[in-house]
Amino acid sequence: MTDVLRIRDLNKSFGGIVVADDINLDLRAGRVLGLIGPNGAGKTSLFNLVTGVVKPDTGSITLDGQSIDALPIYQRARRGLARTWQNLRLFPSLSVLDNVMLGPRDYPGEKLTSLIFDARGVARRQAEERDRAHAILKRTGLAGVAQSRVQDIAYGQQKLVGVARALMNDARCLLLDEPMAGVEGQAYGAIQRVVRDIAESGVAVCVVEHNVAFVRDLCDEGVFMFAGKVLARGTVGELIADPRLTELYFGT
Amino acid sequence: MEYVVTIIILVGLFVILAASFDLIIGYCGLISIAHPIFYAIGAYTSAMLAKEAGFPVPLAMLMGAGAALVSSILVALPSLRVSGDYLLIASIGFQLGLIELAKHFHEIGGAGGLTNIPPFLIREVGREAYAVLVVVIAALTVWFVRWMATGPYGRMMSALRDDELAFSMLGRNAIWVKVSVFGIGSAIAGLAGGLYAHYFRFIEPDQFGLLASSAVLTMVVVGGMRTTWGPVVGAIVLQLLPQVITFFGLPPSVLGPLQGIMFTGLVLVFMFMRPQGLIAASDLWRGREGGARHD
Repeated sequence: MTDVLRIRDLNKSFGGIVVADDINLDLRAGRVLGLIGPNGAGKTSLFNLVTGVVKPDTGSITLDGQSIDALPIYQRARRGLARTWQNLRLFPSLSVLDNVMLGPRDYPGEKLTSLIFDARGVARRQAEERDRAHAILKRTGLAGVAQSRVQDIAYGQQKLVGVARALMNDARCLLLDEPMAGVEGQAYGAIQRVVRDIAESGVAVCVVEHNVAFVRDLCDEGVFMFAGKVLARGTVGELIADPRLTELYFGT
Repeated sequence: MEYVVTIIILVGLFVILAASFDLIIGYCGLISIAHPIFYAIGAYTSAMLAKEAGFPVPLAMLMGAGAALVSSILVALPSLRVSGDYLLIASIGFQLGLIELAKHFHEIGGAGGLTNIPPFLIREVGREAYAVLVVVIAALTVWFVRWMATGPYGRMMSALRDDELAFSMLGRNAIWVKVSVFGIGSAIAGLAGGLYAHYFRFIEPDQFGLLASSAVLTMVVVGGMRTTWGPVVGAIVLQLLPQVITFFGLPPSVLGPLQGIMFTGLVLVFMFMRPQGLIAASDLWRGREGGARHD
């Protein structure tokens, strides 16, 4: 099994608060890894460090064997790193379809020169990306709301828009930040099914999630984090059964 | 007749300024009010190249637009790398600083202004031809801004305005988009500057200051931000209103401040009565490819 993302000796602290303490972690192609831990354990911070939102103090990260340490956020995304956000971060002035259409690694028309000198090529590629976006919306169960504004659809559907937008990247590595928080009903099953499909297509997936049942059903493996440290790695069942971790999680 | 032609030219120039400014502040959400300084850079560059270096006027005008493009990128690049707010501070500093500098540079006319700028078209063909040229360029500007705003770039600008971090995480280069839009808008303002200089044949530093900034901003806000026709309507209304009050026979000492008060008053009235401007923008972006009718 190939490692898609490799995190080595990653450290980060803000003043006295340590959010990453010597983290070593590999994400493998076709596997779903769950990040478990109480609030403030450094799960979202790890996503921010990997995606370049926050710069680490020390440590290195490679994607498909190549270092991404020096790359800004957008170039990491163009290498095949995609993520969703705990607080959604959708674009309210765009429809669901247009939110998703901004997701391709190579967005047709981003270069002004191609927009001006190759208008036809851009239009053709835009049409292709639109078809792809429609296919992804269908796969995520959002086909019926493609033209809706994102703030008009249910919260669970908004979460799915975030996932659909990330899927347009054709990512090698997908980071999902609390995809199930606040989600119930149809969207719950849809997210689970979609994440499983993505992993089976060879993507390395990492999920931060508080919903233990979801993590147990979905993840091949789990990592327990606490105070910026990776404390344990194993099957989710093993992690849940460990009384030491349960104590840290619930603080009892 | 000359009066009417001059008014048409002034309205046309302000349509160019307002539409290009709408691209920057409206569509892309870049907060800057220093648009007139790039108008000034275009005007001075074009005037000096034609007057002192003997460049043909059309070429001088294009060079003026080029100078506005380059200088706007130099202002935008460092400030946009940090955060959007710095652009406002950096650009106002650039605007006021450059105006003061120009006042002390006698080679470009100093505070008294640059006179005897070579005319263009007026002698050979007539003032009307110049008005046609300005109106055509104004129409092209309005069309170009609409083309930018409703195409793939428009989708990017909307998203960037909403959430820059999420935008970057999709693989989009936010700094590049912001600098490009700022540069293009400023270059268009520079071209308008050249058109102004070779018609009125006199420019002075003070006309490109904060009063000009507030006039262009008022045009965009009152007309309607992020709309095709808003800046056009805003430019027409705000150019014609000051003309109307000149007919009341007020002394110049009253007239000047009265126009300033009018701009401010209009912004206040619109803020309370119609914040979206005369023409209201839709709060949902729609592209021209008709994505709405796709499925």
